[in-house]
Amino acid sequence: MKFQLKNTAAVLAATALFMSCSSDDSTSVNPESHGDVEVYFDNGVGGDALTLGTSYTNSNGESLTINRLNYIVSNFVLIKADGSEYVYPKDDSYFVISAEAGMLTAHLENIPAGDYKKVRFGIGVDQQRYLQGETAQQSFWDLAAAHDMTWTWSTGYRFINFEGTFTAPGLNNGLIFQVHQGSNTATDNYREVTLDLPTTARVREGEVPSVHVKTNANVILDGQQKIKLSDNLNQAGTGAAVMGGENLIKIAGNTLNMFSVDHVHNGGSGHHE
Amino acid sequence: MPRLLYTAIAIVLLLPLTSCSEDSEYVPVNEAMELDIPSNFPPLAQEVAVTKKGFELGRKLFYDGRLSADGTVSCSFCHEQGYAFTHHGHQFSHGINNQEGTRNAPPVQNMAFQSEYFYDGASNSLEMLSIVPIHNPAEMAETLEGIADKLKADSEYTRLFSQAFEDGQVSSGNILKALGQFMAMMVSANSKYDKHVRNEPGGSLTQQELQGLQLFQGKCASCHATDLFTDSSFRNNGLPPNPFLNDKGREIVTGFASDRYKFKVPSLRNIEKTAPYMHDGRFGSLESVLNFYSSGVLSSETLDPLLDHNGVLGIPLDTNEKAAIIAFLKTLTDEEFLNNPLFYFRT
Repeated sequence: MKFQLKNTAAVLAATALFMSCSSDDSTSVNPESHGDVEVYFDNGVGGDALTLGTSYTNSNGESLTINRLNYIVSNFVLIKADGSEYVYPKDDSYFVISAEAGMLTAHLENIPAGDYKKVRFGIGVDQQRYLQGETAQQSFWDLAAAHDMTWTWSTGYRFINFEGTFTAPGLNNGLIFQVHQGSNTATDNYREVTLDLPTTARVREGEVPSVHVKTNANVILDGQQKIKLSDNLNQAGTGAAVMGGENLIKIAGNTLNMFSVDHVHNGGSGHHE
Repeated sequence: MPRLLYTAIAIVLLLPLTSCSEDSEYVPVNEAMELDIPSNFPPLAQEVAVTKKGFELGRKLFYDGRLSADGTVSCSFCHEQGYAFTHHGHQFSHGINNQEGTRNAPPVQNMAFQSEYFYDGASNSLEMLSIVPIHNPAEMAETLEGIADKLKADSEYTRLFSQAFEDGQVSSGNILKALGQFMAMMVSANSKYDKHVRNEPGGSLTQQELQGLQLFQGKCASCHATDLFTDSSFRNNGLPPNPFLNDKGREIVTGFASDRYKFKVPSLRNIEKTAPYMHDGRFGSLESVLNFYSSGVLSSETLDPLLDHNGVLGIPLDTNEKAAIIAFLKTLTDEEFLNNPLFYFRT
């Protein structure tokens, strides 16, 4: 009992200290201070939550059972209401998001304190980065390879690895599909999106605002441009592969609408708002 | 006075450091290596930053079979220096477990001046291109991570990586970087032809070679352009596709039907030494190559327009002209490059 009381007192004291610090911060932002931001990717399919192994029917009349949704997000920029931008250091700005691996966040560290209203990021790996060669990528190649996000017959990265099985009218059930989005030496399919934050992300020392991004995997094949898996069967008719040509350009366009920010959690420890 | 104090502190701080480093191994300075751009060459197409230690490490890796899954196939297995780093006498590249690929090993030379690699442009980066043969299941069948794991267990390699790179790591990135540095330095620019165009001693061409040069400029140089002898473009030169391979060439990379059967225009440097010819190594001699261009070109939707003159296909050439062109092509042999000890590996 005595021990418990002592602990409570310690917690209260620590909380008081912490709160007084953070309330100072929120009234006047110390421009010299820094905080972290977490960008969380909530995978979904056309408004439903994404559950690997579950089937979804799209407007192309095809039912997809998704077994893999991995993608690369990169080159994060945080933008304030006045339009000023904080560009996250490029060397640290490449992330693999993977449903199967449970890797759903891009954790950005040491962001200048301030109120941010927009976030911009890329889908995939930009040509400038790629052409700097592997020296610039270093351990990112290994991370990407570990999550099936590299191309080795051609040298580069898969920007999106979207795989599973599908059914379509007139086809045998359960054909495999593989959608591998990326750039090649003929087409640059890297795209960037700028997303509005419905509420400000308040970056302060000791607080980690969480930007909750909704990912809509449906638009990969069923966005402004429609790609039917049944139009992309291999010669043996045993599966569909979408990995090149015009399809990659269409998917690049579709990915511009793949992400939106649903909400922002401010005050990492939950004592704000 | 304060400066003196700082100096004193610095000396005290440094003392234990210097005594340590005297005990440990001497670390040599990793000096930069300059790439001399031949005056008759176009500008560099790749960013090149080579150090002596990086180059030497890349050379060791190039000759090391551990870059393949079972330790038997090094880069140099299919890229032999004496044949301008091609797989002499082999139609296709060979890989581990006695496998055979589907394309003829291309020469490795003047790499830093090129913007596209492989017959289909599978890579456009000198540092990234090694990924392709390393991972190809019919060639080296390894992974970069797997190679790094093997080399980390070798104290010689851990020492060489620590000397060659600032971060000192045996890593995927540094493996590719070292190989890229080695290949960046592999410049072939001292053939008889080069001496001719640079007005250097040893550059006088015979009457037939001069005739061949003139014919070449009129009939071949629109694709085999500049003193690299390639414009780095992808073209369908009208080779009848091999039905057993049906290699679609550039289309494999781009996915565009308009790229079907297009292959990268190869450089012709050291061509005398790089037989067999074409992406699939189908021709054993330069005579066969020119016979193909004069009478074997096949029409198709993607045939290069330069090879179709109002329905007359190919390049008109008579016997004397062919002989002259071949005589000229042999002036592109660069014995200095083929025998340069800088590119050997000696343990």
